[in-house]
Amino acid sequence: MKNIIEIKNLHKIYAKGTHAIKGINLDVKEGEFCILLGLSGSGKSTLLRCLNRLIEPTSGEIYIDGEDVIGAKGQKLRYIRRKIGMIFQQFNLIQNLSSITNVLTGKLGYSTLIHSLTFPQHKEDMKTALDNLSRVGLKEFADKKTRNLSGGQQQRVAIARALMQNPKIILADEPVASLDPATADSVMQYLGELNKSDNMTVICSLHFLSLARKYGSRVIALKDGKIVFDGTPKEIDEKRFKEIYGEDAEEVEIR
Amino acid sequence: MKKDNKLKLNLQAILTDLLIWIYILGCVSFLVNHWFEKIIQTNFVVIFGVAAGFISFILGLSIGRKIFLPTIKTEGKWYKTFWGWSVFLLLLITFIVGWNLVEVDLYKLFAKFQNAGGIMKGIFNPNMDIFMQCLAALAETIYLALLATAFAIPLAFFLSFFAARNLMPQTFLGNTVYIIVRTIATIFRSIEAIVWAIIFSVWVGIGPFAGMLALMIHSIASLTKLYSEQIENINPGPVEAIKATGANTIQTWIFAVVPQIISPFLAFTIYRWDINVRMATIVGFVGGGGIGLLLLQQQQMLRWQNVGIIIWMIAIVVWIMDMVSAKVRGKLQEM
Repeated sequence: MKNIIEIKNLHKIYAKGTHAIKGINLDVKEGEFCILLGLSGSGKSTLLRCLNRLIEPTSGEIYIDGEDVIGAKGQKLRYIRRKIGMIFQQFNLIQNLSSITNVLTGKLGYSTLIHSLTFPQHKEDMKTALDNLSRVGLKEFADKKTRNLSGGQQQRVAIARALMQNPKIILADEPVASLDPATADSVMQYLGELNKSDNMTVICSLHFLSLARKYGSRVIALKDGKIVFDGTPKEIDEKRFKEIYGEDAEEVEIR
Repeated sequence: MKKDNKLKLNLQAILTDLLIWIYILGCVSFLVNHWFEKIIQTNFVVIFGVAAGFISFILGLSIGRKIFLPTIKTEGKWYKTFWGWSVFLLLLITFIVGWNLVEVDLYKLFAKFQNAGGIMKGIFNPNMDIFMQCLAALAETIYLALLATAFAIPLAFFLSFFAARNLMPQTFLGNTVYIIVRTIATIFRSIEAIVWAIIFSVWVGIGPFAGMLALMIHSIASLTKLYSEQIENINPGPVEAIKATGANTIQTWIFAVVPQIISPFLAFTIYRWDINVRMATIVGFVGGGGIGLLLLQQQQMLRWQNVGIIIWMIAIVVWIMDMVSAKVRGKLQEM
């Protein structure tokens, strides 16, 4: 399998002086389901956002599907971004637009301005958007404003939006942290399915080891901006867990 | 760096003290002149002010020290401290000077009410004969306010994106654009609509068109500020998400920013129209046409009954506008 993501000696120092990422080297193979573990503030979100340059890295190199991300500008960067679907803890949908419009925004990277303003006139786009909504089981919610949907439904709309990009990679920044355990598992199931049947590479930050064991093929743990563990989920025992989360941490089961 | 900072703070403190004491002595010299008709030379004021400022800065806990060098311990109640007494003196002398400058005269206020009798009689016996004339002038005012608002919306909408901190990139170009748009909006807003009306009444001649232009300029500046503040308050999450899809900047603005601001924008705009109707009356006084101009003419001819009907009609229109705009804004907030 080829490496779809290559990160070399990545650093991020924020303007206020916080050194969030301290020299990370990481290769991710196509089709992997990577779980990012680590305390809040360990650099998980920063790392994910450096991959599509929502945050500008300070130094280092990133290659996505062989393309240089750091050097990319303008249209080149936008072409790289559309290969990478992103899912957020707070869903980040546009609350007073309908689900279908939110899903259609996933197509923006492929569309000209005029085209994107006339999405409803383009049958093939509408059809793809509806297909993606049905894929996450929300076809009948197409015309509902996303503000009226539950948290789990919103996250599924967000997944449909990411699918619209036809991505090779999905970055998920604590996608289930605002959801109840049952909903969390169903959202993770959708991500798992994309990984298995569409061969999308997933990098997903989480706090629950049980979910990591169930869905992850690889676990990477961050602490203070450095990788402190890189292996399979099975290899994380209690000792490793305490190394990652600190001496006082206890594993919490969620099913 | 730290040393520079300390020096800077000390300088700011001493400058504050100097200005305060020059001001206090200036006030004293005004009062001496006002009450005893003795003139104190300006250079005396400055020299003694500077001296007093220096002395207070060196000797005690002066106001400047209190503001800029807070590391110095303050002990006890304010009336036991030097800065406390200085502030008290400052406020007291400002009040006394203000009283004299404004020529406050309670006797005139209470004993000369009958002078206003004519107006009061006029207001309560409005002349209904000029009702239709008033209505025409009022229509002029309302429509000129409406047009001023309507013309201001697209320009302010466009400008507000460039005056929003969170949308402008942190680059030299981004910062420059942001600062220029903000500064121009602030300057144009700080010039009152009445001043614009004077300028335009000379430019295009007295009449509603001049009033419309004046209100439009002022509205553009105000709405740009209000709109851009609204943009700065949006939830940044959707912006991030839309950017991540590979959308370009304009697509990001249209899909992630605009849906979040459209209803507050509408609310502000209706509020602005409401303000503009009220301002249109004032603007009319200086050549902006409409009901304001009519009011000025009738007032100068001392036709208090005509003034009466105009005042009532303005009041009713403002009241209706107020209610309607509050209702609409309430509805928009629910959306």
